[in-house]
Amino acid sequence: MFLAVKEMQHEKFRYGLIIAMIVLIGYLIYVLTSLAIGLARQNTLAIDSWEPKTVLMNRDANISLDQSILQKDDVGHLNKSQALIGQMAVIAKESNRQNESARFIGLSKSQFIYQELKTTSGHLPTKTNQIVVDDKFKDDGYRLKDRVVLNSDNTKFQIVGFLHDQRLNVAPVIYGSLSTWKALKGYRGNQIIGSAVMNKAGSPTYKHKAVKKYTKSQLVNKLPGYSAQNMTFGFMIGFLMAISLVVIAVFLYILTMQKLPNYAVLRAQGIPSSMLVKATVYQSLLIVVIGLVISGVITWGTGKLLPLGVPIYFDIPVLLAVSAGLIIISVLAALIPVRRIITIDPVTVIGG
Amino acid sequence: MEAITLNGVSKDFGSGTSYVKVLHDINFKAQTGEVDLVIGPSGSGKSTFLTIAGGLQSPSSGEVLINGSPFTSETRRQQEAIRLSKIGFVLQTYSLVPYLTVQDQFKLVDIFVKKNHIEKERFNQILKDLQIDNLMTKYPSQLSGGQNQRVAIARAIYPDPEIILADEPTAALDTARVKEVGKIMANFAHEKGKAIVIVTHDQRLSEFADHQYEILDGRMRPV
Ligand SMILES: Nc1ncnc2c1ncn2[C@@H]1O[C@H](COP(=O)(O)OP(=O)(O)O)[C@@H](O)[C@H]1O
Ligand SMILES: [Mg+2]
Repeated sequence: MFLAVKEMQHEKFRYGLIIAMIVLIGYLIYVLTSLAIGLARQNTLAIDSWEPKTVLMNRDANISLDQSILQKDDVGHLNKSQALIGQMAVIAKESNRQNESARFIGLSKSQFIYQELKTTSGHLPTKTNQIVVDDKFKDDGYRLKDRVVLNSDNTKFQIVGFLHDQRLNVAPVIYGSLSTWKALKGYRGNQIIGSAVMNKAGSPTYKHKAVKKYTKSQLVNKLPGYSAQNMTFGFMIGFLMAISLVVIAVFLYILTMQKLPNYAVLRAQGIPSSMLVKATVYQSLLIVVIGLVISGVITWGTGKLLPLGVPIYFDIPVLLAVSAGLIIISVLAALIPVRRIITIDPVTVIGG
Repeated sequence: MEAITLNGVSKDFGSGTSYVKVLHDINFKAQTGEVDLVIGPSGSGKSTFLTIAGGLQSPSSGEVLINGSPFTSETRRQQEAIRLSKIGFVLQTYSLVPYLTVQDQFKLVDIFVKKNHIEKERFNQILKDLQIDNLMTKYPSQLSGGQNQRVAIARAIYPDPEIILADEPTAALDTARVKEVGKIMANFAHEKGKAIVIVTHDQRLSEFADHQYEILDGRMRPV
């Protein structure tokens, strides 16, 4: 510890440069990871907020909310932990505002999804011509009491409340009634009741063989583009990590090799080689941790400065895991030249 | 007591056309309480001799004993422990850790050598005699060659080792300072019962030696 810290104090510029490099690498990885997670979350925020364990959908719908249609006889009576939704893509229009591509979700007032919705302003819809919408609408200039048209339907719907973090497939969600959903879809009669049933608790019963039960992750992974996008980001971050690790490893290696004469002096004095190895590991640990703490602070600041629309999300457990990965690999990298430290011949620096 | 014994030590480097024999069948004893001076010209094998005596490299043949027990055959870890606790080295060049101030060079000893160090008053007197007591906050790179050498000598003495091995400790010093170093070494040996071996080409140290040897082309003989 003494050796590691003293050396860094003396060689401020050199260690400053290395820490600066770690800061940049950490910053890059943190920001990219947070942006990727932020974007991924925009696909699933609404579903996440419902916290379903399983989903009942039409067996032939390929796990697509857009394709699934449930009939009255398919599901039978729903219990307290079940909620029916009717989902569709819509365009919301208001003459003074920009058009908004959104996802309409019809709910029943008596079921848990509706009952657990929390508005950030306004109130939940109580009539069929009332809707609550995601904050994205507010960011785009929509206000409470605005009356919007959905698709080319003539009915005007009044925004009575705003919700936070309600997105589905990146689009902001509009919550309204199931009858509105049916009307927008053009379904008549009372056979068709919705798109899917969200089950909060264990394994629900259902009546008809046209229905199939899926897990939440099956549903989420089938969201259009979701898996492909996550895979792309996963590979990007993976490659970035791998390359960064090689860069860090090379730097720490060069650093250690440059210090071999110092190690030789210490060895000649009789300082045990285990101490030198410890000092080296401790030093890399210090460098990486200091670097990552600084990049964490910068990343957090960046998050504050980014415009509202940019989806960035600091998933602390994921970022901690990423940091732990960087730290562990850096220490291993610092250990690569350990054999050279242990076997350094003190005589090499003594000279004739 | 025999602090260091070399029995039939030879050292060669390389093989084939690059083969050189640097030390020939060296037999040498250093007694506690005495200063031994090994004088020889550059390239005669002084540094090789001293580093083998202190276990920094091993002989090609022959053996080294420390306090009468075999040293050459010990594991590296044990050799390190012995070197740390019993031997103070003053290397020809580069004896100090470049990134530590003079006082931290001593602090490093405090951290790693867990035994009683030299008495404070004696040590402070040595720092004064060597005229380095005002250099405590300086880094080795801020010191002259002579100052570096004197700090290295103080550092070697500081943990109160039983044996001091010094390689050309006076190369960069003027005559007055050479005498100061010689006096300190002789006092340390005589008053505290240490074994001190100095290899040098500096004749000015002769007057402080209890025994003198001459080394030439890797062969040693008493003078
Ligand atoms: N590792 C080595 N490989 C080959 N030759 C060496 C090595 N170390 C020392 N020598 C040779 O051994 C001889 C004695 O070197 P050294 O002990 O350093 O002499 P001195 O300290 O008296 O100047 C020199 O000729 C030197 O070139
Ligand atoms: Mg020499």
